[in-house]
Amino acid sequence: MAIKILSVDDSRTIRLIVGKAFKPYDCTMLEAGNGEEGLVVAAREKPDLIILDVTMPVMDGVTMLTKLKEDAVLKVIPVIMLTAESGRDNVLQIARLGVRDYLVKPFKEDQLVEKAGRCVTLVKRAAAPTAPAA
Amino acid sequence: MQPQPDINQYKELARRYGLGPTPESVSRLTALVARQDADVDEIVRVIEKDPGLSARLLRVANPHAANEDEYTVGTVEAALLRNGIGCALLLAMGTPLSLALTKTFQTMLSLKLESVDPNELAGLVGEHMLGSIGFIGKIAGHVYLRMSLASARTVAAGILGIKPEEIGGRDEISDVIGELSNIMTGNFKSNLCDAGLDCKLQPPKVGLSGDYSTPIEPGGGIERLAFRAGDIHIFVEVTANPWNE
Repeated sequence: MAIKILSVDDSRTIRLIVGKAFKPYDCTMLEAGNGEEGLVVAAREKPDLIILDVTMPVMDGVTMLTKLKEDAVLKVIPVIMLTAESGRDNVLQIARLGVRDYLVKPFKEDQLVEKAGRCVTLVKRAAAPTAPAA
Repeated sequence: MQPQPDINQYKELARRYGLGPTPESVSRLTALVARQDADVDEIVRVIEKDPGLSARLLRVANPHAANEDEYTVGTVEAALLRNGIGCALLLAMGTPLSLALTKTFQTMLSLKLESVDPNELAGLVGEHMLGSIGFIGKIAGHVYLRMSLASARTVAAGILGIKPEEIGGRDEISDVIGELSNIMTGNFKSNLCDAGLDCKLQPPKVGLSGDYSTPIEPGGGIERLAFRAGDIHIFVEVTANPWNE
């Protein structure tokens, strides 16, 4: 069964890049533009992994992470923070809340896939069958 | 003095997560400025240990000199007294900002971005893409990122991994430039916070602009940076008042 990955970021650019990174793998990509939407999608879809930004409108990533960890069902979902913020206090606060990993933007798609691969089992998609020669 | 447990814990986390360190001179200078009662001699010593920062401070203190032989302000101390501590901080902060931008281009576009003297680069003409992000707290200011629409299209396509003609429209370009501004300023803000100048970022604003004026915060200063990668010319301005609160 395909792994479900939820990307929560207010930037469509980042959500596109994250989606592209996992395209070679058997994954179903889910998206949310802020923490509030992220919680709704997480509760509905129970993703296998959440990739979460920090600075977002409506609800930031730290608040979403706090609420995830307060939820008996959702707290087990591994979270990778993907953010431009690497300040000491931010990292300490987020680590204490319980994240599996932390990736600072700018990032390479390979780095994200490698970190994700430590949280879930990523399986390469089978190559599409080629059309027989006429 | 023993390091605080938080520092040790952070170092361990930074190692585990692969987070890069802030340049030493930037951390020390920002921390000194944040204290507000720092001795000028102490600040001079920190700046003098960074040859690049010393050279930039002297260049700013001698705006009409064509080369070092024409400098009338010849020491870091004199340059600091002439330009102020806030100017030195802005110059120092230019380093991590430049690093964040060049690293973003290298990582996400495989493009080598070269830092150049803003006066050496052909300026933008007419309307251009402008991304700006404000930061507010103990230090307050803005970071402005400017480039031509053609450059912005090329950059957006590169980051998204598509051809420039495949870009959907202006909104797609704006989103990429907003994220570029966000990445650059997020790294910059982290350095400020680590050094004691706590601040929060405001959401990025992106759009076409024909306005080249840069408002400066009361009591603040401005640092101008420029970058080139082939035909792509990028201009960055940082305005800040390090004594906002």
